[in-house]
Amino acid sequence: MADYSPNGDGELQREFVERWRNNAYGCYSSGHKFCREVCPVMQVTRNENHTPTAFHAHIVAMEKGVLSVEDVADDFVHCTQCGACELRCPNTLFTGDFYRHRTRTVDVVKAMRALMVATGNEREGWKLWNERLVEAHNEPVLGDTPVSQEHVRDWAEGLDIPEGGESVLFVDCEAAFYRTSYSRAFALLLQKAGVEFGLMREQWCCGGPAAEMGYADLARKHAEHNVADWRAVGAKRILAPDPHDYIAFTEDYPALFGDDYEFEIVLGVELIAELVRDGRLELTQPVERTVTYHDPCRLNKRKGVHEAPRELLRAIPGLEFKDVDHVTQWSYCSGGGGGLPIEKPEITAEISGRRVARAEGLEVDALISACPWSERPLTEAADGRLEVMDLFELVAVAAGIEVGARP
Amino acid sequence: MSVAFKSAVDDAVVDELRAIIGDDDRVLPNVSSRASRTRVPAPFPVHRWSEFMPDVAVLPVSAEEVSEVVKLANRLRIPVVPRAGGTGLSDGAVPLRGGICVDVKLMNKIHEIDLDDRTVTVGPGINMLKLNEELRPHGVFYPDDPASYPCSLVGGRIGTGGWSLLGSRFGHTRDLVISMQVVLPTGEIAEIGDGGGRKLRKSSTGLTLKQLFTGHQGTLGITTEATLELVPRPELEFAAFFAFDDYMKAHRTTGALTRSGLATLAGVVLFDEWKLRYLRRDDEAYIPQPPWVQAVVAVAMYGTRAEVEPASKVVMELGRADGGKYLGDEISEGDWASRHDRYATPLHGRTKDGQVVPMSWHCEDAALNYSVLPKVREEWHAIVERYIERYGIFDDWGMFCYTNGAYKPWADYLVEIDVGIWEQKLDDENWAGWVACKREIAEVALKHGGSITACHGATREGDAELVPTEMGSAWPVVKRIKRALDPNNIMNPGKQMLDEAYK
Amino acid sequence: MSIFRLGDQKPPEPRRVTDDVVERFAHVYEVEPEKMQTFPQQDLPAWDTHRIVAARWDHLSWMHDHFADDVLVAGLPSETMPEEEEAG
Repeated sequence: MADYSPNGDGELQREFVERWRNNAYGCYSSGHKFCREVCPVMQVTRNENHTPTAFHAHIVAMEKGVLSVEDVADDFVHCTQCGACELRCPNTLFTGDFYRHRTRTVDVVKAMRALMVATGNEREGWKLWNERLVEAHNEPVLGDTPVSQEHVRDWAEGLDIPEGGESVLFVDCEAAFYRTSYSRAFALLLQKAGVEFGLMREQWCCGGPAAEMGYADLARKHAEHNVADWRAVGAKRILAPDPHDYIAFTEDYPALFGDDYEFEIVLGVELIAELVRDGRLELTQPVERTVTYHDPCRLNKRKGVHEAPRELLRAIPGLEFKDVDHVTQWSYCSGGGGGLPIEKPEITAEISGRRVARAEGLEVDALISACPWSERPLTEAADGRLEVMDLFELVAVAAGIEVGARP
Repeated sequence: MSVAFKSAVDDAVVDELRAIIGDDDRVLPNVSSRASRTRVPAPFPVHRWSEFMPDVAVLPVSAEEVSEVVKLANRLRIPVVPRAGGTGLSDGAVPLRGGICVDVKLMNKIHEIDLDDRTVTVGPGINMLKLNEELRPHGVFYPDDPASYPCSLVGGRIGTGGWSLLGSRFGHTRDLVISMQVVLPTGEIAEIGDGGGRKLRKSSTGLTLKQLFTGHQGTLGITTEATLELVPRPELEFAAFFAFDDYMKAHRTTGALTRSGLATLAGVVLFDEWKLRYLRRDDEAYIPQPPWVQAVVAVAMYGTRAEVEPASKVVMELGRADGGKYLGDEISEGDWASRHDRYATPLHGRTKDGQVVPMSWHCEDAALNYSVLPKVREEWHAIVERYIERYGIFDDWGMFCYTNGAYKPWADYLVEIDVGIWEQKLDDENWAGWVACKREIAEVALKHGGSITACHGATREGDAELVPTEMGSAWPVVKRIKRALDPNNIMNPGKQMLDEAYK
Repeated sequence: MSIFRLGDQKPPEPRRVTDDVVERFAHVYEVEPEKMQTFPQQDLPAWDTHRIVAARWDHLSWMHDHFADDVLVAGLPSETMPEEEEAG
């Protein structure tokens, strides 16, 4: 086993420190920790080791020979990559645009996890998960549909969606194999509004989760495959209803391919909101329910998308919508991201438990989210006391659509 | 990696701690846990990081656990360093001799909200912003509002004797804490207040101890619970910013405002010429301001509409009576709102050739009287200029003066000079230079009848050596108290020259 | 609805405001890029700049609301800046 201490054969660690040094000092030199109380993991563990501050400080410590990658590996597991910290950080919020230099905790955590993989400090759960991803080309999500390319389109049964075309719908793994009501609802909404779209030939996972867990090469392979498939089926535009995929296609893929990336990426919730606004999709069925909305981290914090979902909720006739503003929700999370449910399911359960408790406190009968990855932990935490629905599923009801699949 | 223990902590001690805490996840002897509980935002000799690490961290959930840990520390003569948020601007939470870091963040519950007797009782690990989110539905708030408001914790506010931006209206930490439960340096659990029951504000029975236990910098014990004031939530906030072509006009206007007798005045802030120059580099409010703008005075008020609205007209008159020009609604509103998370941004650092580099932030917080503010400003800038010339890794970010008297806007001022330090370039030589600069700055404050620190604490090199001087004839009393309460010198030892109590 | 196109993410060319400050997007100040040789800038696509600016205003507004039910301002224009130069 090679010695990864910085004073030994620590080449990989040295390179890592050099690459991330400026990010590290950007945070370390301030030390002010405004991130701490918005971090969903910190709210639960209260352990300073799990703070974005520590994530950056650890890199400075590695530079100074105080810590090495195996000392910090467990700390870096404790992150959902929700992006609250890096947005809330005054180095982003007040001056990130001024200096063109912002806090990038998500990238730092991803990169450290990749270093962990490269230096023999992998986590067992993530290792197993990504081995199965290699085999099946999709996330090994637990569900009724077996995860494999053979079944990747089972969710679309009876919908007559063609293969290929200028607009291609990308269906998230969790939605393809587990929460199929999500993907069916979205597809049926598009069809009702007369939007033409097709599916990929061979849809692999976007590669985002692999990258989040530190499997950068695997993520690249997936990106290359998907882009080649898009080109092969004539796609100019990718419709991405799932926020995780939207981030992969608007951030990860451009970073991999540079200028050789010609696709338009359309965010699902913004498309549906526009269709309703333009009258191409009519919401005529009243929905007499009282709901609140969960701002998914990867929409609200990571991409600044919080208006379109609310516009849709307000357009649903009969709906009583008790809102919690999107800035308060910077500190909310389902705990489902960043591979956390695989390695630390008890922390995910606590995070989602608290999110559901907040919704329950508003006396609503449903919590509406806009991210399928959040809906599994939130549903588990709700334990039947509250319904957890996806926004597309709710809009489909209001549009008079029979979705016909397990929610 | 392994970093040797500095104190009598060893594997046997860690086992004893595990037995006390009963949960191995809350006893952390591993090196990344220790490294994460070393520095605070104050300038830090990063090149000597391992010298300041605790030997082990514990995350207690009850006063009983804290008490047992402290008793063990006494038995074995192991230093104990309490740490709440670790967001302090002096070195109160930085271990000097290894030992046990008692990290109170898990003690963050709201134990009770009493709307009749107007108190909220909390653990020391709760943050004020999070507390206020829970208090809001009841129409009350806890207005302890430092620049670290979104991240500092109640325990640390008590330990440092914190200052609040809104102190002239609502009081500072010391005024807002009614009583507390403290684990004394010998491990007993004591209820400390003004006298009387937990929710009583003012008494003359026995000896009044509350003052002593706010601002001790963790040297007299560990707060494990606190009962706090519930203040009516303000109906209205008013803020106004005024620009001046001359510092003395701004200084006079500050005096006029603070002596106005307006009861809803929450704070007045005076920005000097160097601060304006610094703000012009990178603050959108100031970038386009004309060159004649040399100083600024900011004012804020909070209260009922019936009081604030008429008072705001008086403020506008006073603000403009001596050449002050209103900076406009957008700046007044926007800049005031940003004051609640006003720690310095590293990239505001500039090298001598104007290059942007991340600098860590020294925030001076002397307490001084109105009459000496202009002179102190001249002397301080001259000092910093000399050190910039000599060492090249510092940067002068200008000065603020803030109202410092609880409920008394006319009283004294927290005087801040902000100095950037290019941390990546720190070595023993320029660190020693920094300490010398710090000491010179503190000496000026003392020379002018002030205090080294309004709220951060004089716990670090450059300040601590001067504590006996500042205390003067009170110093022997301070030493006797410290020795009486902490006979084994285990509670945050080495801070504020209190080791002298044991000589 | 915003459609993401990589080509649209490139920031516009800077226009000088002062010796130290430039402007690319309307009313969004940036540091003079020459000053970031020692500590290089990051690649910040247009969507990210806009996200940060919007989030900042939202945060400040949230902070006001956190402390008081309402905010009063003097209701007067800036007395330091000529009319036409006031930031929008």
